[in-house]
Amino acid sequence: MTGFRAVALVAEREIRERLRGRAFRASTIVLLLGVVGIVVFAAVQGDDGPTRATVVVVGPGSEQLGRSAGARQASFDLRLELRRAASAAAARRAVAEGDADASLASGGTIAVAHDAPDGLLPLLRATWREASVRSALRARGLSADEVRAALAPPPARVVSIGEDTGGGQTLAFVGTLLLYVGILTFGYYVASGVVEEKGTRVVEIVLSAVRPAQLLAGKVIGIGLLGLAQLVAIAGLGIVVALALGSVDLPAATTETVLVSAVFFVLGYTFYACGFAAAGAIVSRQEDIQSTTAPLAIALVISYLIALSVLGNPDSTLAQVTTFLPPVAPLIVPARAAQGALPLWELGLSIAAMAAGIALLLVLGARIYERTILRLGSPLTLAQALRLARSANG
Amino acid sequence: MLELRELVKRYGDVVALDRLSFSVPEGKLVGFVGPNGAGKTTAMRIVMGLLASDGGEVLWRGRTVGESERRRIGYMPEERGLYPKMRVTEQLVYLSRLRGAERSAAERDAGDWVERLGLAERSHEPVENLSLGNQQRVQLGAALVHEPDLLVLDEPFSGLDPGGVDFLGSVLVSEARERGVPVVFSSHQLELVERLCDSVAIVSGGRLVAAGDVDQLRARHAGRRFRIEVEASDPTWLDAVPGAARVNGSLVELRNGVDPQALLDAARAAGPVRRFGPEQPSLAEIFREAVVAPSAGEEGRT
Repeated sequence: MTGFRAVALVAEREIRERLRGRAFRASTIVLLLGVVGIVVFAAVQGDDGPTRATVVVVGPGSEQLGRSAGARQASFDLRLELRRAASAAAARRAVAEGDADASLASGGTIAVAHDAPDGLLPLLRATWREASVRSALRARGLSADEVRAALAPPPARVVSIGEDTGGGQTLAFVGTLLLYVGILTFGYYVASGVVEEKGTRVVEIVLSAVRPAQLLAGKVIGIGLLGLAQLVAIAGLGIVVALALGSVDLPAATTETVLVSAVFFVLGYTFYACGFAAAGAIVSRQEDIQSTTAPLAIALVISYLIALSVLGNPDSTLAQVTTFLPPVAPLIVPARAAQGALPLWELGLSIAAMAAGIALLLVLGARIYERTILRLGSPLTLAQALRLARSANG
Repeated sequence: MLELRELVKRYGDVVALDRLSFSVPEGKLVGFVGPNGAGKTTAMRIVMGLLASDGGEVLWRGRTVGESERRRIGYMPEERGLYPKMRVTEQLVYLSRLRGAERSAAERDAGDWVERLGLAERSHEPVENLSLGNQQRVQLGAALVHEPDLLVLDEPFSGLDPGGVDFLGSVLVSEARERGVPVVFSSHQLELVERLCDSVAIVSGGRLVAAGDVDQLRARHAGRRFRIEVEASDPTWLDAVPGAARVNGSLVELRNGVDPQALLDAARAAGPVRRFGPEQPSLAEIFREAVVAPSAGEEGRT
């Protein structure tokens, strides 16, 4: 039997048994619902229409003021309810008593409430400016049509430069969350799978047929493939839902982001899985893996927090440095890619750094695993495990 | 034939195996006995490649055992282990394929063994749902499903109920007799070993203290104990025989060099002799003699 066949057999069993397991099914459903929820929430958020605001206009020509303000409401994402007041004092009172958000007097006085919606004050200022210009032009003898034409110039041609990072941030947030949850979850599957085999002693039967490295490789590959499939399925569903709802702006970098995320899931999972396997091998009972996997979980949480800080700030020094730091990079790089802020050379160098980190951890993790998987008894400390890994034979 | 040659294993200063050698011929059942901590499990784990030895070698058909040979061994570890959530038949198929069987052959063999083990109705259930006795049957299936060339079983009878003991015994005998498989198993149940095995290897403190054909061992250790029944008026007649001591009841042990005929003469002088003959020791007695200090060997009861 070739080594490849042994690895494939182990991987096949891992996939079959996990697919059957309640834990995997439940986590998949929760993640699917979660991502659909985020996308739908973002869609609804973007779709809740303009903010309502009540404006009191007062004085001669207030009708014209009202029309002018109403014509601007869409560009300020507001929906105005216009009222008239008999006097400037009454208009102010309405604002003071909370019946209106702002008042605009034809004399050029704006009263605005503290909690008035964003954009209302600029809208009223623009309205006032237009009214002033209008009356000035009329005073110079222009006809009503000429004034209208002067106040409505043809719209400027707009050339947008750079990416829209708004959708990118949502994408980065969801992607980072999925990677974090995925690496942690599937890393734990590796650790608990290792402990299950060790604790039930079935590992002794298995290792009398295949080498420890083959068992370890099969387990890590099998669980990893499952994780990758889950990630792709969830990302795919999320994108399909986003497109179907039509209201979430998918940034131009979506395809690249999904690809980068998949690559860095594989890299990050492999990196951490070596550690999780060693963490499982040095204990004999499921209860004990919480403590031995804690350093890995903490490293992931810290990476996740750094990734969150990079949202909206993808070019910071922190983001650039952590791009090349193997334990952190798997969560940082996809977040930066989603925000369109990742030069190709940085991506390449980051992958190279990950590969080097994986090579190191693979050797260390596999050695700890091989030296400890058949040991029974009390859990080893990290120091003891490392000493075993260094020693010439187990 | 499986040969263990001069196996040495040390844990720090502790010598777990001290040049242990014995062999398991084709078609023979060999009992591997010894007190706890004698090195039985260590020796079996070295045979299975789960532990590296510090010296000596393991030969199968005259050649050093390697990975491909080990896959052809059926193994039952001391501490039982199966995947608890895996279904019975799938588990056997998996373990068989892991040992090199093709999928179709593995599925056929697993099905046959599930049938033979009386687990057909439970074949699609996770192992953890089965009773302990049935789990042990699956464990046996795991050792046998790939039609092994050799069986290495660590305490296979421990924890079995009498029906399970009989079943396992019959399976092992048929594996050895019908398929010509060498079988070595460790056990503390010496009567069972005596009944099933062709030969034994007795270890103590990592060393082989006695080995060989069970009948020959018994014959070799015979000659010093005699069963003698006398209708004696004076029950203390034996005290007058120099070098003779009562073990219990009618069993008498003679010191080396004492002529059994002198015992018979003394008995006839004491009264009519109903029965007189050499008593072959049981394996348990040979074991005690070989393992425990010789002086202590005369104290205990069987």
